[in-house]
Amino acid sequence: MELVVGTLANMLVMSSMFILVALGLAFIFNMMGILNLAHGTIYMIGGYVTYAFAVWIGLNSWVALLASVAVFSLFGVFLEKYCFRPFAGNFDASVILCVGITVVLQNIVNNMLGTQVMAVPHFVRGIFRAGLVSVSYERILTFAIGGLLTALIIWLVRATMLGQQMQAIAQNRESAYLQGINVNRVQSLACAIGCALAAIAGSLMGAYTNLNPFMGDDMFAMALMLVILAGAGSIGGVVIVGLILGGMNAVLPVLLTGDYAQAIYVAVVVIILLFRPKGFFGHEA
Amino acid sequence: MNNEAVRSNETTGRTWGKRAILGLLLLLACLLPLATDDPYWMHVFILTLIYIIVSSSFRTVSISGQLPLAHAAFMGIGAYLAGMASTLLGWPAWVTIPLGAIFAALVGALTAYPFARLRALYYALASLFLGMAMIYAIVAPRNWTGGRTGLVGIPALFPDDRILFYYLCLTLVVLSLLALYRFEHSRIGITLKAIAQSYLVAGSVGINELFYRILAVAVGCFFAGLAGATYAHYNTVLSYTSFNLGATLWIVIYVLVGGIGSFAGPIVGTVLLVVVPEIFRELKAFVPYVSAGILLLVVYLMPQGLVSLPRLIKSWFAERQRREEE
Repeated sequence: MELVVGTLANMLVMSSMFILVALGLAFIFNMMGILNLAHGTIYMIGGYVTYAFAVWIGLNSWVALLASVAVFSLFGVFLEKYCFRPFAGNFDASVILCVGITVVLQNIVNNMLGTQVMAVPHFVRGIFRAGLVSVSYERILTFAIGGLLTALIIWLVRATMLGQQMQAIAQNRESAYLQGINVNRVQSLACAIGCALAAIAGSLMGAYTNLNPFMGDDMFAMALMLVILAGAGSIGGVVIVGLILGGMNAVLPVLLTGDYAQAIYVAVVVIILLFRPKGFFGHEA
Repeated sequence: MNNEAVRSNETTGRTWGKRAILGLLLLLACLLPLATDDPYWMHVFILTLIYIIVSSSFRTVSISGQLPLAHAAFMGIGAYLAGMASTLLGWPAWVTIPLGAIFAALVGALTAYPFARLRALYYALASLFLGMAMIYAIVAPRNWTGGRTGLVGIPALFPDDRILFYYLCLTLVVLSLLALYRFEHSRIGITLKAIAQSYLVAGSVGINELFYRILAVAVGCFFAGLAGATYAHYNTVLSYTSFNLGATLWIVIYVLVGGIGSFAGPIVGTVLLVVVPEIFRELKAFVPYVSAGILLLVVYLMPQGLVSLPRLIKSWFAERQRREEE
């Protein structure tokens, strides 16, 4: 029972984090055709910046989180204007650029703080107990925030004007211009939201587990799998695929030893891609 | 052959001028160990040579329109096969290195078969994940491959003599580049380029797209495995982090920074990005920023890669001249 509850809790937490990061990646990919290889690094730095605000400046963890969100929204705007817009649709250049950004950011963090064990100060403390079930409040909170934000994003994309504009740009860029949509502004907003989501996910995971300069790499791989399996242009699909993949990711290591589980997990993804390269939910949102 | 055309600047083929430059470079490469006694620089040069093989073979596969984002993983397959064959079976290096290359080529061909149904971006992404899966598959059987701690104790070829190993690598590089160049400029290479440009037209002319795509991947993986196996016998330890997605991305970058459109591109890119940061070794922690600086410079100023630099300079001068004439 303990194992089941633990695995379930794990699955929900990891799924929600994967989904948050993947949503950001999906926004950027859908609209600009750029695979943001630096997204994992943004996730990682999000955690570190929150740590900096919380520990070095002494703010409350929540306030630090909000400050981090503000910083990364601005960073997202900067990224979009100077790094993504000049290279929209140019895959080669975006690879070089994103790896360049990743190298710079990872090394800044590694050189300044690499060997220390750091974690974002907990947002809540305590353990929730009910009969046979005992889960830390941190886990519940992480999942709750993740779920709330996901719902918010889905509402944004489906029910607001901004969301409609984003979908329009993702579906057909030229026509979006013709409709009078200010593509640059919407792209900036999408990038800002994407980076902010990654930063939030990084901060939450930084409290849940420790921070390390390379935590972004694994997370990016997961998010990439999510986005590709969900299909270009789909946002709701990201959530569904996220839950499935998160579930697999939580359950497989329980059945097989660590690395075999990872190998099988990725192999399954590859096999799915062989049969449905466009993903499951491509081109709807 | 029209000697006029050969002697003039109007051919892009093999002119005597180009051959002279190549010969000079080869001579320089041969004399390099005499210029420096420092074993660290020998190490840098050996790594450069190994990665030249890897990036050139990456480019060879990309001629066929496929971007093999699992390339570093194939290097890892060659490396781990050589490593395991020599530690577990005790086979000598001159057996394990070709074996590693052949095994990598076989795995490449086998995996290329189901992947051939994918095109362009989808092939790239699927092969990216394939590379990840292969690395996890290598790391998983801990008792055989050393798992995450790595494979240690591989017998080194020429353990005390880096200079000798350098010459071995140089020989391998020259042979590999020759093979890859001849492959690209043969009928097979032209067929691959045709498939890359338009698979529909190529198919309508009777080209067996599946066969040629698998062939391209197999050839590329052969050389990746060769480089990997050589690396195994040089480094004596193997860590999966040398062959993961990050490593593949760096190979892609070596190729893109040099220029994916030309044969010399990957060579230029590899030399630049492996050697130049080492020149700034004194800066210690700031070395990665040198690499990042090169990347950003190239991306914003020379998106076609460094081999386009002569062309860019020429056109810049031509533009200036034109403006002065107006």
